[in-house]
Amino acid sequence: MNSEPIWKSWFERHGAKLLLFARQQSRRPDEAEDLLQEAFVRIWRLYGHTGEVSPGLVYRAIRRLAIDWARSIDRRQIREDRVALDSPISFSFERTLEKDERKQALLRAVDRLPGQQKEVLTLKVWGELTFEEIARVLDESMNTVSSRYRYALQKLKDWVPEELEGKKEDSSPAS
Amino acid sequence: MNEVEKLEAELRELKPLPPGDAFKSRLESALGDAGKVAMRCLPEEHAEIDRPAFSLRQTSESRFPRPILFGGLAGLGLAALWAVILYVSSSIAPDARNENGIEDDLLVFQKSPPAAVLIAEDPDSPLHGRSLEQIQDVSVMPVSGWMDPQSSERLLRMVDEGVIDRPGFLPARRVRHYFMDETLWRHSDSDLRILSTNPREEVFLIESDTY
Repeated sequence: MNSEPIWKSWFERHGAKLLLFARQQSRRPDEAEDLLQEAFVRIWRLYGHTGEVSPGLVYRAIRRLAIDWARSIDRRQIREDRVALDSPISFSFERTLEKDERKQALLRAVDRLPGQQKEVLTLKVWGELTFEEIARVLDESMNTVSSRYRYALQKLKDWVPEELEGKKEDSSPAS
Repeated sequence: MNEVEKLEAELRELKPLPPGDAFKSRLESALGDAGKVAMRCLPEEHAEIDRPAFSLRQTSESRFPRPILFGGLAGLGLAALWAVILYVSSSIAPDARNENGIEDDLLVFQKSPPAAVLIAEDPDSPLHGRSLEQIQDVSVMPVSGWMDPQSSERLLRMVDEGVIDRPGFLPARRVRHYFMDETLWRHSDSDLRILSTNPREEVFLIESDTY
């Protein structure tokens, strides 16, 4: 009878979403994988024997570790890394989107969102967590996270046409 | 569907990039033993591919589940083996009856040649110093020609025994695994099979991280 470790199928289901969140939380793009590895290993060592681990626990560990790591590096380093932190979110998505203008505009609009709203949006849309779970991950109230989500969607609704318009203007020949 | 719902649907269509294989291997080595604590059985179609050549279920019409079939045949095989051994020992051993036809255990014991002497005569013999040829002639069991045994382990269940304190070390979570080890011997010419099952348990200590 063949068998394989449960964490592999678990990670197959949740790995991409967790990595996206880790990229958002990390100070440097190359730090995201380290962050995810550390968080996942810690949580799996504690709860992996049960065979099923709530993804919310790993999201929460990622966020806490990101805060701890950020505290441990000096301010100058943080300033320098801040530039890297602002790398576009579109880098974290499949490349097949490149031909779809609307989707690209959508991602550009997501990039413009304030960090806290982007965080909630990521956990809700791609992390597929409930507001209650998101509130636990972020140590916020449910009202706060649901408001942030609503504001984020409202902004995206307004900004996507702007982004599409801007793209058209950029690509139109100079008169 | 209103505009916001449409927007949500559009966002969900975007798929984040999955982690690369190199990262998964890194994760596997970082997890170490903790990654092997919880296992799952692969679906049957995967198992079919890797089924060993000695599988008893050669046709899909088999009416019995594989473990029962194995267990039943193994039981029959072992029973046959014991019957043969008893028969051989009773037929080869000196006559256990005295002149009056009365069974005399003491006499049999005294008449039996010392085993050590006969073992010395045939060091390869597994039974009462009789040669392998003698045993094979009398029994239906082939002595030679057995293939290398096939061993496998089956995880039956695991029990989390909670966090334990270890003097001088970090506290650790103790997880006990119950396995059933199976060894199958097969004789290629006669297609005879003997299955041995042996229960085993292993204890894993997973160090608790403090953070």
